[in-house]
Amino acid sequence: MSTQLLNVSALSAGTEDKPILHGVDLAVGAGECHVLMGPNGAGKSTLGHVIMGDPAYRVTGGRIEFDGADVTELSADKRSLAGIFLSYQAPVEVPGVPLYSFLRSICQMRPELKTTARKFRERVGAIADQLELDQGFLMRELNVGFSGGEKKKIEMLQLLLLQPKLAILDETDSGLDVDALGIVSRGIQAYREQVGGALIVITHNTRILERLEVDRTHVMVHGRMVAEGPAELIADIDKNGFERFERGAGQDDAACAECPGCPMVGDAE
Amino acid sequence: MSDERSKNRTQVADVDRSLYDFTKSEEGYERYDDGLTPEIVRAISAKKDEPEWMLEMRLRALDLYHARPMAPNWGPSIEGLDLDHISTYVSPKTKQAKSWDDVPEDIKDTFERLGIPEAERESLAGVGAQYDSEIVYHNMREEVAEQGVIYTTIEDALHDPTWEPVVHEYFGTLIPPTDHKFAALHYAVWSGGSFVYVPAGVTLPYPLQSYFRLNAAGAGQFEHTLIIVEPGADLHFIEGCSAPKYYEANLHAGAVELFVKDGARLRYSTIENWSKNMYNLNTKRATIGTDAKMEWVSGSFGSHVSYLYPTTIMAGDRGTCEFTGITFAGATQDLDTGCKVIMNGADTTASVSTKSISKDGGVNTFRSSVVIGRHADRARCSVSCQSLMLDDISRSDTIPAMDVRNATAQVGHEATIGRISDDTVLYLMSRGCSEAEARTLVVNGFANPVSKELPMEYAVEMNNLIKLEMEGAIG
Amino acid sequence: MAEKNGALAADAAGAAPELTLERVNVAPAQTWNRLRTNDITLTVPAHSRAGDVYFSLPRLFEGVECGMGRKVTDWVESQAADARYVEVPRGERREEPIVVAVGTGDVADTGVMVRSGAEATIVVAAGAGEKDGETGTSASLVRIIAEAGARVHLHEYVGVGAGQQHLESVGISAARDARVDVHQYLLGGGTVALGFACDLAGERARVDLGCRYHACGTEVLDINEVVRQRGRNTRSELAYNGVLEDAARKGLRTTIDLVHGAKGAQGNEAETVLVLGDDVVNKTLPTILCDEDDVAGNHGATIGSVSPEQLAFLASRGLSREDAEELFVRALYEDALMHAPCPEARAVVNDSIGDRPLLNHGPDDSKGVCPQLNHPEEA
Repeated sequence: MSTQLLNVSALSAGTEDKPILHGVDLAVGAGECHVLMGPNGAGKSTLGHVIMGDPAYRVTGGRIEFDGADVTELSADKRSLAGIFLSYQAPVEVPGVPLYSFLRSICQMRPELKTTARKFRERVGAIADQLELDQGFLMRELNVGFSGGEKKKIEMLQLLLLQPKLAILDETDSGLDVDALGIVSRGIQAYREQVGGALIVITHNTRILERLEVDRTHVMVHGRMVAEGPAELIADIDKNGFERFERGAGQDDAACAECPGCPMVGDAE
Repeated sequence: MSDERSKNRTQVADVDRSLYDFTKSEEGYERYDDGLTPEIVRAISAKKDEPEWMLEMRLRALDLYHARPMAPNWGPSIEGLDLDHISTYVSPKTKQAKSWDDVPEDIKDTFERLGIPEAERESLAGVGAQYDSEIVYHNMREEVAEQGVIYTTIEDALHDPTWEPVVHEYFGTLIPPTDHKFAALHYAVWSGGSFVYVPAGVTLPYPLQSYFRLNAAGAGQFEHTLIIVEPGADLHFIEGCSAPKYYEANLHAGAVELFVKDGARLRYSTIENWSKNMYNLNTKRATIGTDAKMEWVSGSFGSHVSYLYPTTIMAGDRGTCEFTGITFAGATQDLDTGCKVIMNGADTTASVSTKSISKDGGVNTFRSSVVIGRHADRARCSVSCQSLMLDDISRSDTIPAMDVRNATAQVGHEATIGRISDDTVLYLMSRGCSEAEARTLVVNGFANPVSKELPMEYAVEMNNLIKLEMEGAIG
Repeated sequence: MAEKNGALAADAAGAAPELTLERVNVAPAQTWNRLRTNDITLTVPAHSRAGDVYFSLPRLFEGVECGMGRKVTDWVESQAADARYVEVPRGERREEPIVVAVGTGDVADTGVMVRSGAEATIVVAAGAGEKDGETGTSASLVRIIAEAGARVHLHEYVGVGAGQQHLESVGISAARDARVDVHQYLLGGGTVALGFACDLAGERARVDLGCRYHACGTEVLDINEVVRQRGRNTRSELAYNGVLEDAARKGLRTTIDLVHGAKGAQGNEAETVLVLGDDVVNKTLPTILCDEDDVAGNHGATIGSVSPEQLAFLASRGLSREDAEELFVRALYEDALMHAPCPEARAVVNDSIGDRPLLNHGPDDSKGVCPQLNHPEEA
């Protein structure tokens, strides 16, 4: 077993007016590949954003340890510098900032990635080629007017550039056509091979997992972890769906009916 | 189509303009000479037996009026307005009545046609009705009066030793006579209007309503509305305006001063249907305190020329302001409407949503200003303005100014101008509507966000006005 | 002109001859004067040129409406050394940009005729060079006539010193199927006033305009841009994106004028302003005039600090609020460098950067900032 990289224990969190996560535990060892599955509204994306430190969510209980340190109170930029990366499901548009300027900035923040402009240009060019991304994109404003597939490729570009210790991929496969899916999958593989970083893949679709060697699978329903198992669990879910997990979680919810605003059903995300 | 539905449609088509266009004889009414002199101003003041300070204010304002120029570089032309020939004061020879039965027959008939007493019986806490320059009817429910709510004319308040000092303290402070030329004119010759005082913590269960009717040809109406909503109180005030059609220019230069104290709420709804010879140069302004809320709902259909920009000054922290307005400009109309918001308090929120419809050569100008002061930390403002063009001889301009001086403020603005899409009309026609019905449907849908903010009978009136106007448009 | 006579009198008295240009850079539709957002008043030098004869532009350029208005056009014509006329012959694609380089005290008057189907790049570069302690006024007036099907690329780079004033007035007349793209970078100065007017006279004529500005210190930046859409199916796309710091004062007036008869015309305007200074004054007057029903006019503006969503996203990539704000400013200069079409424009950017550390522009990086953008002459 590899050394512990991420340790989420008894984590509860939500927005100002709505609790979403209820006592979630999740442990990821260095270099491991974990898959987080669950039906729509289970709280998977929320968990990803809370691990990243998104200020839109408030932690109400539990803690997050990363690389041996408690990061529960750390701001998102500090967590990023510590080696956590979250690939957004819907990357935010940032008008006025050319992609290239942005990439250069986020690399220069990190002593281990600081380099000369020339070398940087070469690196970015090589990764862009690998992702079959036209270099013309580098001059365009960050995510502004990009298609869904282009935005995801640019998230992969940042993943390969920043070489984080832990990458959380939030539904990176959603809305991609077959070609784009192939390119993104190759990007993820490249990250595993070149960087050797740990991975949490959030998905409710097993297609993207076909090329990955998965260490553990976690199932989340109604803001709770309801099952954990080996890679084989994926095939089981693929065949039988989430129904049996949902039934189990439903009973749980009945038991905590007094908990105000508890998302009994549906859209917790 | 069912009989029931086709019957409804016939009823709608029956609404006709004569509802507003009837006139009454002016014979026997006291009428001052045309033109504007200190003598006229003194005569108005003497007739009202006013305190000395009010006469002084009138005379000062008269000087300002003569001294101030109109802005030379913006706004619709007011060349049709010849103030030398506008009788500034027309007074029906009647005393204010407390009982509807005491109102003279012809005036009563006017207001009954407009549905005023009916509305009072059904859903209002109090009603005032002004006919030309004077209030002819004022009444309020007893249980509202018992809570200490005052709803009277400014003239009466000035003769009441309790309220005279209050009027003196507030009158003309929010809209000073120096504000612009027609504010100065207003203060020189104002007459009629309402004084409303809502004590702290009192919530009125029903709205108060004022109805303004300008009957005389070539006259002016200069009513002043002064409303004070004390801390934590809550009031909905409704104002309706109409006038019959003449070929001589009429002038409306009213002033509305609204003081909304900390934690109070005021909703001010207007549906204005002045006739199309009216120059509507009205000034409305509210100042709101900490945690206070101001809501404007404004429907402008009438007048030949309008300059109308209700203003909200958000002085306290956490105040909110909502402005919802619609302007409908048809043939011969040049309507310059919009609003102003001045945000000075921290965490204040303002949202402005306006619609305009132009047809038959009518001109709409949406004009607004949002000023966010240095200390308005985290102020948020959104302005949305949509204009619908119904033909290619009309005009619609959008002139929104923004002045932001705080780094933490957020301002969003959007404006769109366009016409009813052919696709929409075709879609509705494919479901059995005639083209005229389809277009009326779309225009009503466009206006719906505003009409749903209006009290029921006003929403109906507004929809009728739209249908009336649309019939002309489609022919 | 009466004003000029006054100025000449001052000259005779030994004072620096000056002229006050009252209320220039005016938008077609104005609003409340007390907002002080309708115009700007500028004081400019007025040297007597009695007895001198200079070349002027062909008379037909008089019919081109210019953004800063007639008074500024008259003043430029009275002060400029020889007017420069350039013609790009029919169907010709002119590779070499037409460069108007304006230094301290220069006043340039340029007219460009782009004949049917021809293509030209025009660059105004104002303010390259050392500017510490420099004072004075520079100005450029460019009038462009784009004939049917012509393609015009206009780049305006303005970065004068904090003690300097620059007036930049542009007028374009675009005939049927002409396409104009405009790239404005306003990178600083004491007072910078820019006026832009484009008449889309012919069917399907189109203008795409991107304006980026950064103002800091006590700069006064005044912009007035007018697009008249006269032809059927004309199109305008106007995008503004700026950063204001310190006690900078900005006024931006934009007007999309959908003239009667312009059936099928579309006009879009969008503005994003990032306000970073506590003493900033940011005024905007985005006007749409519409005298036609079969048209679509849209405007959107976002004014304020960096949005919470953007901050959260940038934080997830390691940037704190301060880093993010710095990135927005730096990105603007990098964008200017990336898109600079010639060395003169690049020089304006480089000399405006000051002590702002441009990461992408290290000492080993003299060849532009992006692999895509190395110019042929430098490759």
